[in-house]
Amino acid sequence: MKKRFIYSSLLIAGTFLASCTKDFTDINTDPNKTTATLFNPNFLLAQSQVQFSNTGYDQLLFQSMWSQALASTYDYYGNGDKYVFRGSGQGYNGRTWDNGYNAATLVFEMKNLVKGNAAQSNLDNVASIMKVLIFQRVTDAYGDIPYSEALLAKEGNVTPVYDTQRAIYTSMLSELEAAVAALDVAKAKPTSDLFYGGDIAQWKKLGNSLMVRLAMRLVKVDPATARTYVEKAYASGTMTSIADNAKVQPDNANGNGSSNAAALLVNDDFREVRWSKPLIDYMKSNNDPRISAIAEISTGTGKKANEAQIAGNNTASLQVGLPNGYDLSGGATDVSRAPAYPGTSPADASVAGDAAAPVGKYSRPRFLVYDDRNSINMLLTYGETELLLAEAATRGWNTGVAATHFANALRANMLSLAQLNTTGVATVDAAAITAYVASHPLVPATALNQINMEYWVETASTFNFNENWSNWRRSGFPVLTPVTYAGQFTNGTIPRRIQYKLNLASTNGVNYNAAVSRLTGGDTFTARVWWDVQ
Amino acid sequence: MKINQKLQGAQLKQSSPKLRVAANFAFASLLFLNLDASATVLAPNTLLTKTAYNTTFTKIKIADIRITGKVLDETGQPLAGVSVKTKTGNIGTVTDAGGSFTLSVPENAILVISYIGYSPQEVAVAGKTSVSVRLQPNNKDLNEVVVTALGIKKEARKVGYALTTVKGDDLNIAKETNVATSLTGRVAGLSVNGNSGGPGSSARILLRGVTSFGASSPLFVINGVPMDNTQRGQSSEWGGADYGDGISNINPDDIETMTVLKGQSASALYGSRAANGVILITTKGGKKNSGIGVEYSSNFQIDQAVDNTDFQDVYGQGEFGLKPVTAAGALSSGSLGWGAKLDGSQVIAYNGNSYPYSKTDDNYLKFYRTGHTFTNTVSVDGGNENGTFRLSAANLQANSIVPNSGLNRKTFNFNGSQAITKKLNVNVVVNYIDELAKNKASLSDGPGNPNNVTFLAANQAQSILAPGFDANGKELTFTNDTYVTNPYFAAEKFVTNIGRKRFISSMQAKYDFTDWIYAQIRLGYDNSNNTALRIEPTGTGYLSNNGSMFQTTGQLTELNSDVLIGVKHDIVKDLLNFDLSAGGNIRKNTNDTYRIEGVNGFIIPNFYSLTNFGSRNSSYTYSRTQTNSAYYTADFNFKTYLTLSTTGRYDVYSTLKDGNNGIFSPSVSGSFNFAELAKIPGLDFGKLRVSYAQTSGEPKDAYGTDVYYTVNNSVNGVSAGGFSNQLPNLFLKPFTLKEFEVGTELKFLKGRLTLDVSYFARKTNNEIINSTIDNSTGYTNRYIATGSTQNRGLEVELGGTVIQSNDFTWAPSFNFTYVKNKILTTDGGANADQTLGTYRPQNANLALVAGLPGPQIMAYDYLRDASGNIVYANGIPQRGALKAMGSTVPKIYGGFTNNFSYKKVSLSILADYRFGNKVLSGTNYYSIFRGLNKMTLEGRETGVVGPGVNANGTPNTTNLRAEDYYQGLARNISALNVLDGSFIKLRQVSLGYTFGKETLGRSPFSAITLSLVGRNLWTIMKHTDNIDPESTFSTDIRYAGIEGTSLPFTRTYGFNLNIKFKK
Repeated sequence: MKKRFIYSSLLIAGTFLASCTKDFTDINTDPNKTTATLFNPNFLLAQSQVQFSNTGYDQLLFQSMWSQALASTYDYYGNGDKYVFRGSGQGYNGRTWDNGYNAATLVFEMKNLVKGNAAQSNLDNVASIMKVLIFQRVTDAYGDIPYSEALLAKEGNVTPVYDTQRAIYTSMLSELEAAVAALDVAKAKPTSDLFYGGDIAQWKKLGNSLMVRLAMRLVKVDPATARTYVEKAYASGTMTSIADNAKVQPDNANGNGSSNAAALLVNDDFREVRWSKPLIDYMKSNNDPRISAIAEISTGTGKKANEAQIAGNNTASLQVGLPNGYDLSGGATDVSRAPAYPGTSPADASVAGDAAAPVGKYSRPRFLVYDDRNSINMLLTYGETELLLAEAATRGWNTGVAATHFANALRANMLSLAQLNTTGVATVDAAAITAYVASHPLVPATALNQINMEYWVETASTFNFNENWSNWRRSGFPVLTPVTYAGQFTNGTIPRRIQYKLNLASTNGVNYNAAVSRLTGGDTFTARVWWDVQ
Repeated sequence: MKINQKLQGAQLKQSSPKLRVAANFAFASLLFLNLDASATVLAPNTLLTKTAYNTTFTKIKIADIRITGKVLDETGQPLAGVSVKTKTGNIGTVTDAGGSFTLSVPENAILVISYIGYSPQEVAVAGKTSVSVRLQPNNKDLNEVVVTALGIKKEARKVGYALTTVKGDDLNIAKETNVATSLTGRVAGLSVNGNSGGPGSSARILLRGVTSFGASSPLFVINGVPMDNTQRGQSSEWGGADYGDGISNINPDDIETMTVLKGQSASALYGSRAANGVILITTKGGKKNSGIGVEYSSNFQIDQAVDNTDFQDVYGQGEFGLKPVTAAGALSSGSLGWGAKLDGSQVIAYNGNSYPYSKTDDNYLKFYRTGHTFTNTVSVDGGNENGTFRLSAANLQANSIVPNSGLNRKTFNFNGSQAITKKLNVNVVVNYIDELAKNKASLSDGPGNPNNVTFLAANQAQSILAPGFDANGKELTFTNDTYVTNPYFAAEKFVTNIGRKRFISSMQAKYDFTDWIYAQIRLGYDNSNNTALRIEPTGTGYLSNNGSMFQTTGQLTELNSDVLIGVKHDIVKDLLNFDLSAGGNIRKNTNDTYRIEGVNGFIIPNFYSLTNFGSRNSSYTYSRTQTNSAYYTADFNFKTYLTLSTTGRYDVYSTLKDGNNGIFSPSVSGSFNFAELAKIPGLDFGKLRVSYAQTSGEPKDAYGTDVYYTVNNSVNGVSAGGFSNQLPNLFLKPFTLKEFEVGTELKFLKGRLTLDVSYFARKTNNEIINSTIDNSTGYTNRYIATGSTQNRGLEVELGGTVIQSNDFTWAPSFNFTYVKNKILTTDGGANADQTLGTYRPQNANLALVAGLPGPQIMAYDYLRDASGNIVYANGIPQRGALKAMGSTVPKIYGGFTNNFSYKKVSLSILADYRFGNKVLSGTNYYSIFRGLNKMTLEGRETGVVGPGVNANGTPNTTNLRAEDYYQGLARNISALNVLDGSFIKLRQVSLGYTFGKETLGRSPFSAITLSLVGRNLWTIMKHTDNIDPESTFSTDIRYAGIEGTSLPFTRTYGFNLNIKFKK
């Protein structure tokens, strides 16, 4: 018996000896992750692209309604529609910030991993273009942000200084110029590129088109720089067709579905997020053939019908936009008191427990187009670039003929809608496009208005509301009437900036405070970013 | 027992020298220590064949007289297992179950009869052949033996640091589903806060305050073996359920004692995880020579929700002073109490029906049901001369107050001890736990949270939310914030099932070479298999698909193998002796977890299976850590009154890089029983203790010292990858914790008054913290080793027996703790605040702030001009700077117990208290925002013009509707939600009656005890208007003191029946 005991204890001890001798370094190595030596840095590009393009609530809650492209009576959208905090209110401030920096971190690390590797220089330069694409969105939203010292935690800098937007733009333009110039079609292509499948020529065009967008932001604050870079970019070669559009095709089956669709498909959002009155009115006044491609009214009546996730009626003449600034409170701002209220969509008596839908007769973003979980995320298009070039030419800069660019843009913008879905459900009739382009020539006297209104329609129809709102601030088009509503965080004006995200005061206080002190009126939604001069 | 009897008769070779045995053990030790044990020492086979043990026993000299005797306790009941020895020590036995013994002794022998807890007695045989001895309890506890680190038993008087033992009976009469919660108010220095998450939820256990940045729970050691106490999942500002912690699995009926080792010198022997203190659990075992005993205990308790809210009942549901006029409007204002004055009219609700617009008596509390917990434990124990055992089985069925939610736990416990030979003793403890928590309620944020029912306007009957879904199973959302799930839908349809099958075992073999040298091998294995199933059902309002589902299956293991060699020796007999133990330990932890999640919603609605998805995402987490340690503890005893003790420990951590992963940590402590030297009248016992100790610590998680990349889901066939937003640190080293402690223990008037006081000062250095940084740095967190925390405190335990007569005793005891915590440095240079958790409104958060006690609530107070006027913009008060508003951890806490007994009746009353902590209340925020708080009554009719100025100095004249004003106020001024968390509570009352033998007569029972119990009966004092100050949704220190949308506080009543069968 004793022997048996001794045997067993030795056996136990021996068993553990065997498992104890492994090196601690081995134990402290994560078996499910890999190190730089084995990892393929290309993978970070695709991750950055899909992450950056997938915005959803990041732009729906604020931007989409500030520029009055969408409207909603739904309380949750009060932040955008009425400039009052709703839902998590200030908690949403950080969405554009976080999404931007998270995506930028990926391409920045990619640059680190290919640093000094001449064979991978294209990946390095593509990363630089991505970085500028990302940082433009962030600085346009907040103003001064960490740029020169951003993303350097690995080097030990965890409290980056906030660069002025002027410095950021200067830096972005020169980095972009250098990156575009250094792209080399003869060298290795990026292998995980969701934009162009690694086509370097297209990246060059994107780089130049992005340079146009960057430069045109500066028309009011620094027209000389703007002109220099727009002309450089034009000379170097911008996008030439809608095939050059920078876009990401989501992959719903693999967990990367469209976040726009995911947001809109929530019951209340589906029932109460509508195209705005200014947008539908403008498109109708132009007989814009895109109306039927983008807008519809629920088929059937009542609340249940407005929650039923099926295609609606997209007949152009029936479409009605919802004015911004209304709610369902039953008070003075109740939607029933809106001018030309089309009436409720009455309850369907045949449906148990149905109720009237107060905004049921307003046009919503078309189900088959925008609620498609694989609908394209559009980031920068040929049409937008042509519009900006038309504006540059109108300003007398050396970027070709304004009217030609404008006509190209109109055609491209209508054709691009076919790209939104793999089904091409938003395709606009070719004859209608030709007719529209012919009947809407650019008139020099109203050129800026025409160009920027089209920019507004295009960025709305492609759900690129970050750009939609930024270009409104830049150009002043469309001319919008601010919503007035009690308890606004802007005192009756449309927000021109996003307040910094909440915890910056605690994570990077000194630099945050320095940045805030440079803002006229403090860290508010009404302060203006550097390029947004009055 | 048969095996044992065979052994007794076995004849064994005695040729083998004892040294060989020692070598054998030493070899085993080497194996365990993972040193280079060379096979050249001796091949095991050779060893084994040559080895035998001297197992001769009962070498009893033929004596002159045969004496029989009986040993009784103070009440006249026989005492089993009492040691009876001749004074010369060479002859002895123990009493049997009937308290009897028989011994052959020399005629002139003197018998020493001793038993733990009783004063020893000497009886001169003087020719007698039978004696009867009645032992008296030893109130002075001079010979009290306590279990200390590594399971080493020591005489209490020799211990140079503070510890408190809590008996199982204090924990199992009124049962908590998490036994740790029962420690509330019982131990000086220990603060326990249970989570408001229903049965089996976790507990936040802090010993001596926030000892470190992570401030996690003390290390639990069960029968000498550390057990895993991993928190398995908690709620955050974004919701989630409490998945329970490790300690919540233990059945209180199996616990003999829990010993809280407070000081670092006590826990120095357990290494890094003991930095937060150690709680030793000793499970019940059998008693030697006691016969077979059967015990049955049954406990039934009911839980009743208590309404802590005090909302306004003047205005009803609605917005801007208006009643809803349409169903859509009612939905829009679903959780808002900004309507008109209640007038009894019929007003439409979200469901299209109309109800009276008057205060409802069907308030939110009626949503909850009466919870009940039924626990049954049966145990069998016994022992003969050579072995003891106890086997128990228990079943706990707890139905939560949340409908459809509950906990079932089955526990099996075996504790067996066997003397294989006279020198070799083997002990095996096995715990098997099978636990399933069904539908753990989501807390904090709105999605899937049944507690959303808390926020209803005065006229809203909770029952109008029933059944929560329509004929198609689609959720009936009652507000247009769909993320506030209908409570009925949440309780009925959401699934959060948490299962755990756990096996905690320990095997120990101890060999006594002589009466002064022993060696011990111990193996502890804690293996839990965890499952979690979460279903967001079809029809969920905020989902844009048919519902989601994930399932995790994981295995957590902790394996401890250790060896210990103990030597006790007199250097100079009766003057100086030493007691040395040295050993080594290898600890290995693994976590192996798979998670499968459906993608894009169920294809077929209402069919909840992972097969019902177009595709599935899966993830796999694996981590493992190991610590190799060697340690010693040496006590030098000078006579009986002075003990000097020193320990040392060397740890090597796998979580750190080679070269930076080893650290030695020493401790020294002394105890001086001064009352033995200087006789002070009335003072029976007086001890002074002093200790200084250092312990070390490692990072919480594995793999924090290298950069890694991952492959992510591909996007349309294009490969994608990423990396963690947690920045690793390649240069981390173990951190250190140093503690100085001085204390005294005094016993007066034959134990009628006892006092135990400790003062401690402790400080951590180079603590490894996971610091929050902003995304703009590229990462959201980073590991840095710059933390330093200081704790100083005073612990007082005052006890006594005020009245002690034949029939009646009154024994009160009081404990008091004062802890002053200070965060000395955070991230080194800049000392930026370390942001911790927040609540859903996100306008305040917790942080560790250098120079202040942690964690501080950081909130926004009013912005004021130079003259102190509140500054407004558009009529809404503007926020000033984010300011530290006080710590969420109490500065002062303790409890007051009164035990009364009158004949067979006993009454025990425990009150506990807590002072000096703040609570960040989400309930308060929502009650203001939603117009439910009484403060929002002002200005309903007239609008609000806040007193103060605009930014330009002109008086504020903007009149805002009450809703606009108060919502703006709630959003901006989070200081309003910082409440004083102090309280005094009547925590537990139990009233028991024991039917003894005299009543039970010839029945099969030897004792029956029936107790009526109550917990959380009365909140004697609190300062929070709408909440219970203990309410919290997470026990993580990062969320300490944050509350909101959790289960209401509950009162518990019940009875406990304990039946002991005759042996």
